[in-house]
Amino acid sequence: METKRDIEKFIDEIKYGRMTRRKFARAMASVGLAVAIMPTGRTRALADDSVPTVFTWSGYDAPEMHGEFDKKYGKAPNFSIWGDEEEAESKMRSGFHPEMVMPCSYKVNKWNDLGFLRPIDTARLEHWPEIIPALDNVPDTVIGGKRMWVPAWWGLTSVTFRTDLAPEYVPADKHTWGILWDEKYKGRLSMIDSLIDGVMAAAIYSGAKDPFNMTDAEVAKLKELMIKQRPLLRFYTNDNTGWQQALASGELVAADSWNDTILNLSKQGIPSMFMIPKEGPMTWTCGIAMTAWVKPEMENMVYDLVNAYLSVDTGIYWVNTFGMGHSNKNVYSHLSADELTKRGLTPGDIDAYIKAGHFQATIKNEPVLQAMYEEVKAGI
Amino acid sequence: MVSASETLPSHAMPPLPAGQRLRAWLYRNEAVRGYLLLSPTLLVMVGLMVLPLLGMLAMSFFTQKYVTIDYSFTLDNYWTIFEPSSTPAYFLGIPFYLHKPIYLLLLFKSILISLASTAAVVLLAYPMAYFLAFRVTKHKMAWLILITVPFWTSYLLRVFAWKIILGYNGVINSGLVSLGIIDKPLEFLLYNPFAVIITLAHAWAAVAILPIYVSLEKIDRSLLEAATDLGDSRLERFLRITLPLSLPGTIAASLLVFIPTVGDYITPTLVGGTSGIMIGNVVQSLFSKGNNAPLAAAVSVVSMMTITIMVCIFLWSVGRSRMTRREI
Repeated sequence: METKRDIEKFIDEIKYGRMTRRKFARAMASVGLAVAIMPTGRTRALADDSVPTVFTWSGYDAPEMHGEFDKKYGKAPNFSIWGDEEEAESKMRSGFHPEMVMPCSYKVNKWNDLGFLRPIDTARLEHWPEIIPALDNVPDTVIGGKRMWVPAWWGLTSVTFRTDLAPEYVPADKHTWGILWDEKYKGRLSMIDSLIDGVMAAAIYSGAKDPFNMTDAEVAKLKELMIKQRPLLRFYTNDNTGWQQALASGELVAADSWNDTILNLSKQGIPSMFMIPKEGPMTWTCGIAMTAWVKPEMENMVYDLVNAYLSVDTGIYWVNTFGMGHSNKNVYSHLSADELTKRGLTPGDIDAYIKAGHFQATIKNEPVLQAMYEEVKAGI
Repeated sequence: MVSASETLPSHAMPPLPAGQRLRAWLYRNEAVRGYLLLSPTLLVMVGLMVLPLLGMLAMSFFTQKYVTIDYSFTLDNYWTIFEPSSTPAYFLGIPFYLHKPIYLLLLFKSILISLASTAAVVLLAYPMAYFLAFRVTKHKMAWLILITVPFWTSYLLRVFAWKIILGYNGVINSGLVSLGIIDKPLEFLLYNPFAVIITLAHAWAAVAILPIYVSLEKIDRSLLEAATDLGDSRLERFLRITLPLSLPGTIAASLLVFIPTVGDYITPTLVGGTSGIMIGNVVQSLFSKGNNAPLAAAVSVVSMMTITIMVCIFLWSVGRSRMTRREI
């Protein structure tokens, strides 16, 4: 026990005043240096350079999500989790270079312009022929004839409402975004706090021809509608647990939300419904992109990883756990009709179901809309 | 000042080795020694405060061009904030004649919310500090530690706790409902500026208690006795002795609460709802979703300058009133 003796000697020296200032400073400096170096040493030991690093949403790192990859290589990829895509963007701008990212379709254009992405050769993806045809050609993801991104999950953005509190909206032909403007439910409605899921939902309701590429007149009309809506809302929120709890407690009657909301509400036995509004719901799809920083020797591995995320096994786990759709069409035959309806998905023709919605695309006049949205939120 | 080496003829001293000469120079030069002693703190301050602030100031003169930044000097961002317009936007009946009123209007609103929280904090903290300083005689340390207990949990959790207290099915609502006082939960408790003020006031209370306590504790008790001997009532004694002497701590507490709360963004995000938005929320969204870091930097610079000016005016007026009082 050499160290123990050293420490005892050190303590004795302090106790009996034999420690000189210089000696003490030296000991303190070495402790300080050790503490300062410790974190760098540890991360190096943890991060395995031989597997790709995936930068993605939390939950997407579950072992069930990339089982095929783990089986083939005997180990899991590295993960880094982002809070949202904006945060991810600034992190990558300032020098974080993962091999794989999982943005939603509307982000692909910008991330490509930022030089983050590289094209994917779908011929090298075993599961590519199993992709739902409606997701094959998502707007703004094939750029200059090159596929920059592959779809992996999809879902709908629409209204979830309490059938017991707003019974007049229950019949299928009464389903409308308009419930979010219903004066009767003032203070008990909520919108998602984002351009893509919130403002675009309002744009669909406003009747804009292409919500993602609006004319000035359409923007003016949209603004008026949103100003009208603000006093009716309880909150604008990004927190899906928040709106789920609020719906569950009856604080909210209806909420702009994702289709998975209904799964959690039905688990608690709360009478609720996910609308397919007559104006059309919004369809979103998120997926996988390879980054420009993939080293040639790692390319095969990254393709295997993309492939693993598109597999049927991953899809079944995904739909069961998260309640949203997966892009592999063979997933749905493994799930009962009841389980699918419970998640706001359809047991019928998935392809037609997806096509019925407005596909989220890159918002053309984004800065103008963002500025407008901030003004509306601030009450101007 | 004449340094030691100049007073001695140089040929009298044998040339010293370089290391010793450096050491001798270090020992003689007081300023250098002072800076060396400061250097760890100084390095941290320069590296983590001054440089980022300068970076932000520089950023506010650039322009965002989609994914790149145009580094040519421009005042456009400031013009965006201050550009006048003939049609006003109203806030609390006050007209803002601005083309883009959102920034200054929200800054004004943030300052009001922050002032209200500061007032609430000081009014709550003062009696507690007073009690600690004058009434508590035993186990003072335990009391002080108890006051810092809220600081043992994270700020975020304290805000969340208020969400639970004020919420629709929260502590207050379910309590009132089960007592039969109300039959439907009150909706006005949460998601408005008052929820923000309450949350801020609670979260910052401990910061205010300690400086006020210290200044009260320092008051010479014989002054109070003298005031009583000379016929002051309790109230007069408080107004003439205790309050003025505890003013430095109270002012420090107000500043400690006011300055950081103006720019707070997580509290309004969580409990502010549609009407509780503050300037920090706009800066945050400009930086991230708005993809306009230069404008966000300009908004930050403007709000920092405004706060600085306000604090300076406040301190100046306090100093002035004290000086005039002394002249009388």
